[in-house]
Amino acid sequence: MNTKQLWKNCLMEIETGISKANFSTWFKNTSIIKEDTGIIYIGVPNEFVRDWLMNKYHKLITKTIADAYENMRAVEYTIIKIENSKQETTIINETVDKELPLKDLYINPEDNLNPRYHFNSFIVGTFNELAYAAAQAIIESPGTKYNPFFIYGGTGLGKTHLIQAVGNSIKNKYPDKKVHYMTLERFATDFVNSLQNNKANSFKEKYRRYDLLIIDDIQFIGKMEKIQEELFHTFNTFHENNKQIIFSSDKHPNYIPELADRLKSRFAAGMIVDISEPEYESRLAILKVKLREVNIDLDQEIIEYVAGAVQGNIRELEGSLNLIVCQYRLKNKPLSLPEVKNLLKNNMRPKKNMAIKDVVKIVSEYYKLEESSVYEKTRKKEIVKARQVVMYLLREDFNVSYPLIGQKLGGKDHTTVIHSCLKIKKDLKNDPGLLQELEQMRIMFK
Amino acid sequence: MKLECSVEKIKNAISQVERITGKNLTLPVLSSVLLITSGKSLKLRSTNLSLGVEIEIPAKIEKEGVLAISGSALNATFSNIFQNENVFLEDKDGNLLIKTKKSQIKLKSQPHEDFPTIPIVAGASFEIESKKLIEGIKSVHYSSSVSDIKPEISSVFIYTNGDSLVFVSTDSFRLAEKKVKTKGLEEIPGILIPFKNISEILKIFGELQGNVKVCFNKNQISFSSDNVYLTSRIIDGVFPDYRQIIPKDSLTDVVVLKQDLLNALKLSNVFSDKFNQVNLLIKPKEKVFELSSANNDIGENKTYLDAVINGEAIELSFNYKYLLDCFQSLTTDSISIKLSGTSKPIIITSVSDSSFTYLIMPINR
Repeated sequence: MNTKQLWKNCLMEIETGISKANFSTWFKNTSIIKEDTGIIYIGVPNEFVRDWLMNKYHKLITKTIADAYENMRAVEYTIIKIENSKQETTIINETVDKELPLKDLYINPEDNLNPRYHFNSFIVGTFNELAYAAAQAIIESPGTKYNPFFIYGGTGLGKTHLIQAVGNSIKNKYPDKKVHYMTLERFATDFVNSLQNNKANSFKEKYRRYDLLIIDDIQFIGKMEKIQEELFHTFNTFHENNKQIIFSSDKHPNYIPELADRLKSRFAAGMIVDISEPEYESRLAILKVKLREVNIDLDQEIIEYVAGAVQGNIRELEGSLNLIVCQYRLKNKPLSLPEVKNLLKNNMRPKKNMAIKDVVKIVSEYYKLEESSVYEKTRKKEIVKARQVVMYLLREDFNVSYPLIGQKLGGKDHTTVIHSCLKIKKDLKNDPGLLQELEQMRIMFK
Repeated sequence: MKLECSVEKIKNAISQVERITGKNLTLPVLSSVLLITSGKSLKLRSTNLSLGVEIEIPAKIEKEGVLAISGSALNATFSNIFQNENVFLEDKDGNLLIKTKKSQIKLKSQPHEDFPTIPIVAGASFEIESKKLIEGIKSVHYSSSVSDIKPEISSVFIYTNGDSLVFVSTDSFRLAEKKVKTKGLEEIPGILIPFKNISEILKIFGELQGNVKVCFNKNQISFSSDNVYLTSRIIDGVFPDYRQIIPKDSLTDVVVLKQDLLNALKLSNVFSDKFNQVNLLIKPKEKVFELSSANNDIGENKTYLDAVINGEAIELSFNYKYLLDCFQSLTTDSISIKLSGTSKPIIITSVSDSSFTYLIMPINR
């Protein structure tokens, strides 16, 4: 018989029968110590509690236990020591042994790849399956199928993981191929250094001897004209020689500001895929894989809560999980759901809550219009568009009711608002530019 | 409930029981004092679930009854009643009516059904003069540790040794031991009374004359006199085996006048640093007993004391506060200081009285 479980059940039963103050005063720190031939021994912290339980609650306790455990014959109360200090010391000892491991900082200087990124720990879901499939095709025959491979998506969604995993896989599969991973920033510094030292040629040579070049965070290239040119030439060399080149960015190439057209079209020539935010099931799968890595079991309930609560990017998901794992090791016992909730409450993004006025302000700023013009009765094309976007955003992102939107935006009828929202929805399907505009405005809301 | 009693007596009793009403507890009724009539007396009871006390005062009972009244309100009320006549207490619609010749007071009561009982301790018992008990506790209790981290030393340890009752407390930097000779002792293997309860015991039994009956078992101890019953929780733990750290032999023996040493320490206090450090230098050949302290911001001092010195030269530092503390327990004019090396404890006793022993650990530099 599980005495712990039995007492827990009984306590729940007792709790409903008496006042909260009484319950927490008298039943705190009690437990069933043992069961011996039908006699239940209840451990209590001191004589005051023992007396009171015997005088006042004996009947209730006996009845509750008897209901739950038919073999009970009698209940005895014993005073036990509450083990506080001892527990603390043991915990300290264990935490020393089980400190969270430092992340593997080992990076191969030859190719800059981090061996930690591989496909075993890469979770595939609908949000990234296209990118994953394309990556597999590239590993199959690098340089021929999708060249260049351009992958974009928001921060912390696994772009770097994916492209590094491609690099690692190719390195394993074709040991003689030279793979090189770098961020754009590194490429730029190298280039500037080579110019300073008059070694522009050796720079070109250096990069062109690689068989696979991976450049991360390419979106910063916008304002670097010289570097765009250099990249263009490097790219051409790679392409001509059927060598694979992989880029990652947080934007679609069309929206990287001031990106030279020739680069834009070259990026478009290969394969452009995006990684979106993982949906619930994928988040769940990711959490499970990470838990397996650290060798810890959490309740299904807790995993489901975390997956539901931490939306958005995977990095935050990992951060939240680390927090839980850390607490788990510190306390050396599984966390309960309320504890987890409490732990994560600071990590959660605050729910977006904005005044209608602020939305109007951001949108009008974005379209470089006077804020007041949005409220005016005018049919100027650019103002109408801005107003419709405001209505759409209010409805879609902030769940404001149609009549309220209409009323706030210069006394429009709610049907006008419905029309506007439908129109923007329709336009979004045909006009990727509009989608991008909306995305950028949404960033400003955060 | 309807009764009449003396203002003086009830005032006194309330001020004592009110102190141990439970503060900040989950059960609100614990913050009240329970008034119970029984035969020819009124019982006032309070508890904070670590300590429970019941004081009985004579009263003329007309009608029996029980009431729970907020302790702080009751105490504040009675401390402002200055007539020296009798007071009438009456229960009316769940309120307590207090009547004197010149005032009429109504206090709200709380439901008394939830007020817990106070454990009656069954176990071995013995009687001791209340003065001796208080002396024993008073002599050592200031040495106990204030923090809750180690409950076994934030307490006063009581055990029997032959015909003596021994009181010990320590905070691991100093230790005080007091032996009190008592007749008819029951063998006590060792009881740890929580430090927090000790001060209440002192206050309640401090002025009591006559004998106190001490009753104890594994978990609880009780003290009872004619009209007071007090019971305290006992800490379940093992007091450190302190006898083994008391050095048997000493290398340097000093006898000084208590008042001289006290004055010197008070001066040192001015110049001591944040560790309250005072240096002691003893040179038997030159007959030097020197206390010195220095503080970078204030200055420094050296005091030479007349002393009878035997043994070897020694120099060490200690926390002067620890030494000051024990002066209250030293009954004679001259005190004996025994030293056995720079890292061994300093032993302080009264010259002609071996019942009190005090140990201070030196500060290692």
